[in-house]
Amino acid sequence: MLLLLAQEAVALAVPAGAGGPVDAGLGRGLLQQAAQAALHFFNFRAGSPSALRVLASVQEGRAWVNPEKGCKVELVFSTERYNPQKGEEHLGKCSAQVFFKNQKPRPAINVTCTRLTEKKKRQQEDYLLYKQMKQLKNPLDVVSIPDSHGHIDPSLRPMWDLAFLGSSYVMWEKTTQFSRYNLAQLSSVKQWKTHEGAIDFDYTVLLHEFSTQEIIPCRIHLVWYPGKPLKVKYICQELQTPEGSGTEEGSAVAPAQLSNF
Amino acid sequence: MRVLLIWSVLLGAALGSEDFVGHQVLRISAANEAQVQKVAELQDLEHLQLDFWRGPARPGSPIDVRVPFPSIQAVKIFLEAHGIGYEIMIEDVQTLLDEEQEQMSAFRARATSTDTFNYATYHTLEEIYDFIDQLVAEHPQLVSKIQIGNTYEGRPIYVLKFSTGGNNRPAIWIDTGIHSREWVTQASGVWFAKKITEDYGQDPTVTSILDNLDVFLEIVTNPDGFAFTHSQNRMWRKTRSRTSGSFCIGVDPNRNWDAGFGKAGASSNPCSDTYHGKTANSEVEVKSIVDFVKNHGNIKAFISIHSYSQLLLYPYGYTSEPAPDQKELHQVAKSAVTALASLYGTKYQYGSIIDTIYQASGSTVDWTYNQGIKYSFTFELRDTGRYGFLLPASQIIPTAQETWLALLTIMEHTQTHPY
Repeated sequence: MLLLLAQEAVALAVPAGAGGPVDAGLGRGLLQQAAQAALHFFNFRAGSPSALRVLASVQEGRAWVNPEKGCKVELVFSTERYNPQKGEEHLGKCSAQVFFKNQKPRPAINVTCTRLTEKKKRQQEDYLLYKQMKQLKNPLDVVSIPDSHGHIDPSLRPMWDLAFLGSSYVMWEKTTQFSRYNLAQLSSVKQWKTHEGAIDFDYTVLLHEFSTQEIIPCRIHLVWYPGKPLKVKYICQELQTPEGSGTEEGSAVAPAQLSNF
Repeated sequence: MRVLLIWSVLLGAALGSEDFVGHQVLRISAANEAQVQKVAELQDLEHLQLDFWRGPARPGSPIDVRVPFPSIQAVKIFLEAHGIGYEIMIEDVQTLLDEEQEQMSAFRARATSTDTFNYATYHTLEEIYDFIDQLVAEHPQLVSKIQIGNTYEGRPIYVLKFSTGGNNRPAIWIDTGIHSREWVTQASGVWFAKKITEDYGQDPTVTSILDNLDVFLEIVTNPDGFAFTHSQNRMWRKTRSRTSGSFCIGVDPNRNWDAGFGKAGASSNPCSDTYHGKTANSEVEVKSIVDFVKNHGNIKAFISIHSYSQLLLYPYGYTSEPAPDQKELHQVAKSAVTALASLYGTKYQYGSIIDTIYQASGSTVDWTYNQGIKYSFTFELRDTGRYGFLLPASQIIPTAQETWLALLTIMEHTQTHPY
């Protein structure tokens, strides 16, 4: 799929605009890939379930492809709130540099976004979510959010947002220049408790990978407290191959929040 | 007769008798005036509790009477003693009432009509198949149901034909649900079916299209997979065929067509969600359509609908070689997405499969295009990942409405550009 060139890097300029094709076939797909990766990383690093963002559209971008080293993408894209608030038509704008090491996941990312929600407001909203989460009584029998019909019980919304936050880390780590992930469903809750004031959440999600169309179950364990960096551990079940199935795991503690976001 | 029965029941209920077990209805033939008089005497015997549905009038006129169980013996003996002929019209009134109740409930449950069908929710296979029958029953002049085959697990595969006549007119094919987990597509298919019947004769565009072309609509293109998404695994994509030599089930029906089959862009691993199958057309769900298309021979547009991503795609997926009609297809796609966006502002990208989404071999519209069906398109409906396959039911109708505008654009173009 990548245009392989014998020589060194080639720059591909991509015109602005949301509709329509791009000059090089690989250009458009790659920009989408990069934008998604940048956004997963951004969400994880922000560590804020009330401030989650989704991709609206890629506005402009450039890609440098080096068959040996990998591929570097610079781009500008717009975002929307994951949980759209009534009356708030806020399109955030982000610029990012994404570097896909050849065939390897976990692209290196530099991303900055325009201040979408005031820091104070965000902290308040996070704290509100945190209080709602502490009120949740025994959601262990919870299975499948959203349900088959795409419905999420409003009382379980905070749990879903936190699940998405944890999944963002996993999705960023797994993204390569060829594979792109979306969160399909929260399939089960193993544990939901408070530990030293923080929310301790052990759950399974189904991730949807785009190029292979696979549904990948991942077990995620996170610890979250408003304003503190998110701690995540995970293990994903990979596709069963004739040789046998494999797993992929990782863990992290989000870096301390940067002041520019 | 039915009306009389109900009336009688109501009367009975009003009079306090609730149960008609063992009651019989007799039809008495009074041969002469004397016999008529005799039967009339029965009326006066209150303890018999007779209920005359058709009272004694004149000779030759049948007399119908409901006789409660305790009085049956007495009445029959009386009639026989006087040589008055009779026959038993209803052996057991209660049994008949019960049957009638059942029928009435069934009639009510079988969607009072497609007007009361809930388009804003997801349905089961059975509900959709009932809807199909209902729609055909309501519009027999316009809609018919064709069975094009049976699935791997033996379920019938149905296609709706919308036609105002002619003989093998040029046709447009639309399919939804080839990937079973893409629920908004089957739901939209149901909505399209209803929409066509509503708009024919009312909307000039639809009327013109149907006066000149036929429309074929396959709502559940992968019935086995669809049933499985309801019963076991909401995320199931493929068919449910068994592959010998593997414990994994199913073939990706959108990699199983004979166009670049087995090339890069599909998987040879039976456990993969893009497994292409052992051979092209190995899947009966695919073969049934292939046979139908070849036999028909006059399909001019072929639209296969998926979700999600908000894309409108044309061939090719298996090669980066541009399709000969690329320029025209691109223009049509552009008009179609513009029309789509006009309703709710939903943004679609468009282009060839390989350029816009990824390399995919053995896909539906690559095959149909190579068969000479120029206007071959694939849709990827809402959304772009926020909900993905689990699109909230509240978005079904808006999605169907906006997609319909794009479909109309393509259909109109097909009609005005015969080839």
